[in-house]
Amino acid sequence: MAMTSDPYAVGGPSGVMAPSVALRGVRKRYGGVQAVDGVDLTIAAGEIVALLGPNGAGKSTTIDMLLGLTRPDDGEVRLFDRSPRQACVAGRVGAMLQNGGLLPEITVGRMLASVRDLYPNALTVDDVLARAGVTDLAGARTDRLSGGQRQRIRFALALLPDPDLIVLDEPTAAMDVESRRAFWSSMRAWAATGRTVLFATHYLEEADDFADRIVLLRRGRVIADGPTTEVKALVGGRGIRATLPGLDAAALSALAALPGVARVEHRGESIALTCPDSDSALRALLTAFPTARDLEVVGAGLEDAFVALTSDIPTPADPEGRTSRTSRTSRADRTAAADSADRTEAYR
Amino acid sequence: MTAGEMYGQAQADEPDVAWSATAPALTTYLRYVRTEVRRAWRNPRVIIFMLVLPIILFAAFSSSSGDDRLGGLTVAPYIMISMASFGAMNAVLGTAGRISLERSIGWNRQLRLTALSGPQYVLGKLGVGFSLAVLPIVAVYVAGASMRGVHLSAGTYVGAGVSILLGLVPLGAFAIWLGYLVRPENMQAIIGGLFSLLALAGGIWVPVENFPDWLADIVKLLPMFWSAQAGRAVLEGGWVGARGLITLVVWTLLLGAAAGRAYLRDQLRT
Repeated sequence: MAMTSDPYAVGGPSGVMAPSVALRGVRKRYGGVQAVDGVDLTIAAGEIVALLGPNGAGKSTTIDMLLGLTRPDDGEVRLFDRSPRQACVAGRVGAMLQNGGLLPEITVGRMLASVRDLYPNALTVDDVLARAGVTDLAGARTDRLSGGQRQRIRFALALLPDPDLIVLDEPTAAMDVESRRAFWSSMRAWAATGRTVLFATHYLEEADDFADRIVLLRRGRVIADGPTTEVKALVGGRGIRATLPGLDAAALSALAALPGVARVEHRGESIALTCPDSDSALRALLTAFPTARDLEVVGAGLEDAFVALTSDIPTPADPEGRTSRTSRTSRADRTAAADSADRTEAYR
Repeated sequence: MTAGEMYGQAQADEPDVAWSATAPALTTYLRYVRTEVRRAWRNPRVIIFMLVLPIILFAAFSSSSGDDRLGGLTVAPYIMISMASFGAMNAVLGTAGRISLERSIGWNRQLRLTALSGPQYVLGKLGVGFSLAVLPIVAVYVAGASMRGVHLSAGTYVGAGVSILLGLVPLGAFAIWLGYLVRPENMQAIIGGLFSLLALAGGIWVPVENFPDWLADIVKLLPMFWSAQAGRAVLEGGWVGARGLITLVVWTLLLGAAAGRAYLRDQLRT
């Protein structure tokens, strides 16, 4: 795309492109819980970013602060180089909030029209209904919609201001597979017009399918941030399973230090390695442990790897903000990972 | 050319169009009040409770002999103003339920992403309550004229109506406070009890002239009494008086402070 036809090259007031989102050192504490613990995040215009993390990672709090709904204890939030409030007043931000309801005892069309009045340069009600793929619901009462329909209407609501940035907090939470597919297809069509999209999810697959950048949150911190393929390699990759006769603590440390290995788990003499680069890992494994047997290379379940990476293991993030390798695996680690897996399971 | 480039071209031709076209705050506010009044008006329960009830009560209570006097007025106009004030009070207190419900479904958070500011939201809800309050006042006026032959000058009608509404300002602040304090599932019970209590304590169901002196003194410390009293004072050719005005101002300040605190706590917490 040539510079002259790039909308965002001239988008800023000073002629310099302002990022859609800029969070600097944002923190928020609720009671004894540090919900968000120093998040830095810059999103350029046109990016599609997934905010990925398990429940309690700080996704919703981050989004609330980003939208100006919650005041950060510390740090700065700018949208299009303005305060979140100013950006909202100008109609540049649309959002689907988590657990947000619809105004009851009114038709969908009237509800949208009433909110439309509160934006400058809003799209028409018919237009947003069409974009959300729910034109047939204009005359339906808001309190007689299915969970999936409600979410689609809330998406239409988010599109009303014709925003340059759309923020979605777990948009597909109440949807079945069919509505989920339909939702992402409407979303894709909308994003193709070059707008910025930030969505929170705890489904790695959703992030993988839709985002071109993943920001991984754990306990209120960004533990990974990069192109989807990179972050996926970090959390995904392949797994190697093997049996190592005479496995001891020294051998475990050696395994963790092998090239291409991100994480080691073991049960008795059976080991499971999580490997961003399984080829190197396998070669190194056979060289270092010639007695290894029952070898298996498996595509790691994305969810499993994600849970392993974001579970509450006492591993501090390194200064670059990337997760450091897990050098030791304990019973407690596995328990924590299993607990997280259960929690994730419960939300499916 | 892709859709993105087409969009980009349009934007490049008129950069920053969104910033320059921000609607004036007052326009946004008035639009909000207008659509909210319309929405409330479409709810049949609102209409029945707000309009029909005061008219029925007026018909029932104003039927005693025409020459009896309450204060400086005959019975029919006295009860007419009481019931106008009662209906208006219902409309204003309805604000509490609207705020509470919208908080529970996160609608106020959704609206905070629009050009409508937080204070505009609260004032908008008040605007809706007070706009709706005009309806029962007019309805009871019409009932008074058609059922009991109460005819006043246009100036007196308007003056009494405005006085009733001004007398309800403390209750408006009270309604906001309740809206941020009470969950919607408890609101029905609380509001129901409050209506009766405030109507009684305001001398609306039983004229204050029929109260024992000690009770009448207590009633005159409460704001509700002065809404109807302000209306009646206009019918008698006067105004609510210094005592009434001071009572209303003090209550407005007290309840306004409570409402403001509850509002701020809500804004900061969520």
